[in-house]
Amino acid sequence: MIDLVAARVHYLVTFLLLGIGTYMMIGNRNLVKKVIGMNVFQTGIFLFFISAAYIEGAGSPVLSSPGPYVSPLPHVLILTAIVVGVSLTAVALGLVVRIYDEYGTLETDVLREVRADE
Amino acid sequence: MLALVLACALATAVLRDVLGSIIAFAAYSLGVSIIWVFLRAPDVGLTEAAVGAGVTTVLFLLTITKTVRPAGEKILEPIDWTGVVVSVLLVGVLVSTLGALPAVGSAETPVATSEVTDYYLDNAYEETEVKNAVTAVLASYRGFDTLGEAVVVFAAGIGLLVVLQKEEFA
Repeated sequence: MIDLVAARVHYLVTFLLLGIGTYMMIGNRNLVKKVIGMNVFQTGIFLFFISAAYIEGAGSPVLSSPGPYVSPLPHVLILTAIVVGVSLTAVALGLVVRIYDEYGTLETDVLREVRADE
Repeated sequence: MLALVLACALATAVLRDVLGSIIAFAAYSLGVSIIWVFLRAPDVGLTEAAVGAGVTTVLFLLTITKTVRPAGEKILEPIDWTGVVVSVLLVGVLVSTLGALPAVGSAETPVATSEVTDYYLDNAYEETEVKNAVTAVLASYRGFDTLGEAVVVFAAGIGLLVVLQKEEFA
C-alpha cells in the first residue's frame, strides 16, 4: 500500500491540488481568489501530464545529448495550455475589474444583495 | 518540493488578505516550475517561471490596485463547509483511481511506449533540423496548434479591450 502510493506521489499531489482548486472556486467569496483557485486547478492538471511523461533516468528531450529521453509531446501540450491559461486569467481579471467598477464590491454575497436591491 | 508546493497552495486557499494569497500563489508557481525541471521538462519550467510566476502575478497585482483588498483583523478566511465537502468528495473519487495509474517514472507507461513518442524522438532531428524535440514538435509537427494558441491570445487581448471599454492599449 505504502509502496503503491510512494511510486505515485506526483499523482496524489495532483489530486490534492485539484481539491484545493475546487475548494477555492466554491468556498472563497472573493472573486480574485476564485480566479487564483482556477489557476491552482490548472497547474494540478499540468502536473499530471508532466509526471506521465517522466521516465526514471531519462534525459530531457534535447537530441544533442545521449538518450533515452522523456516524451516531448506532453511538454508541448502543457506549454500551449500555460499560455492559454494566462489568456483566460487575463480576461477573467478584466471582468473582475469591470464588476468592481459597476458594483463596488468583489465579495459574491455582497454582490448578490446589491443585485437584489436593484 | 512537492510538500512545499502543497503548503503554498493551502496558504493561498486560507489566507484572508488577497495580497497575501497572491504572494503565496507566486511562491507556488515558482515551486511548480522547479518541479518541472526535476521531471526533465526544462522548457515547461522556463515558461512556468516567466508566465506563471511572472505575468500572472503582475496581472493579479494590477487587478487589486484597481479594486480593493478586503480589510479586517483576521488572518485566515472562515472555512466554507460546502466547498470542503465537494472538494473532499472529488479528491476521494480521484484517489480511488490511484492504484490503476502506472507508477511515475516507469518505462512501461502508455506515454513512454507510444508510437507517437518514438516517431518524434527518432525523426525530429532529420525532418526539422531542430535539436530540441519540444521545439520541433511545438513549431513544426503541431504548428497549427501553436497558431491556434496565438489566436487565443489575440482573442483574449481583444476581449480585455472590450470588457474594459478601451479603444487602444494604454
